[in-house]
Amino acid sequence: MLNSTQLLKLGDLFRAGAEQATLALSRWLDRPARITIERVEQLSLHEATDVLGESEEPIAACVMELRGELVGQLILAFDDASGLGLADLLLAQPLGTAHEWGEIERSAAQETANIVGCAYLNALSRLAGGQGRELLPDPPRLVRDYPQALLQFSLMNQASTSDVVFLTETRFHIDGSPVNWNLLLIPDTPSVGHLREWLPGETPHP
Amino acid sequence: MGELAVCQQGGCLRTLLGSCLGVAFYDRRLKLAGLAHVVLPHTEGPADLPGKYANTAIPELLRQMRQLAKGESLRPIAKLAGGANMFNSSGSVATIGEQNIAAVERLLEEQRIPVVARHLGGEQGRRIFLDSATGQLTVEIAGLDPTVL
Repeated sequence: MLNSTQLLKLGDLFRAGAEQATLALSRWLDRPARITIERVEQLSLHEATDVLGESEEPIAACVMELRGELVGQLILAFDDASGLGLADLLLAQPLGTAHEWGEIERSAAQETANIVGCAYLNALSRLAGGQGRELLPDPPRLVRDYPQALLQFSLMNQASTSDVVFLTETRFHIDGSPVNWNLLLIPDTPSVGHLREWLPGETPHP
Repeated sequence: MGELAVCQQGGCLRTLLGSCLGVAFYDRRLKLAGLAHVVLPHTEGPADLPGKYANTAIPELLRQMRQLAKGESLRPIAKLAGGANMFNSSGSVATIGEQNIAAVERLLEEQRIPVVARHLGGEQGRRIFLDSATGQLTVEIAGLDPTVL
């Protein structure tokens, strides 16, 4: 479990990571983009499985498995309209042109997740504890599934040791307008301990 | 996640499942239904969420169904759904679905509750509905036609 001070410090760390991811996304889209940390929290299992909304309609999600000092998942999730809108944006075609998840649309989403995710993780790696940390993301994999089912699977490791789980949630703006994208970082239980140790003034566990 | 519920005569129970296991009980004569969302196979101690563990969920589901049965003898059958390995992961989470299935099947055998239908495994989540009027368990997977068990 993390205390409120540790959660605040982690919030600062993730906000700095989000700034770097913002720069990378703006360059990739060639237009103003902003990524903000919505929350860095410990939630009950019930609350956590609803962070992508209570809708039971399937969503699209690019899932990056994390290895190294931070094990878990980084998930870039969007509803179909927002995800397909991203493909339109990248292909410089009118909004609404892409209407299904074909190879090009999947590739656009996965490449965006790769760019945003790696920028975010690289920044965390540099900023954490004043020294580089080894964070190794796998290539993103696009899945379409029910949001609660996706989150259950990602939260399973933490849920095996606690009824309260830690996650970070991120929001996006493109051209000044909010878009229905969400970047979630869900570490496993040992990695929550590692995050705590990265904070200034925190001592490693024996 | 980790919750359970019972209902009778026309009510419907529903949940969403990833690697978790949905354990559905139904008594045809009493039209009594119960559904648990099992996250893990086993706990040693008391559980704040009895539906979370197979070895606390099944006794608690039976207890709540007996309460609704009001002294009538309970003869449930079981249907199981869930246990997916959603990101085709190779980590420790990958086998939790299988462990949940094994634990639930063993506990049901001990309780002599027959498992009459299964919809297990795969790489996708499931949305399930248990109808207490009919005992039908409807399983939905994104992009596929629903299956009725």
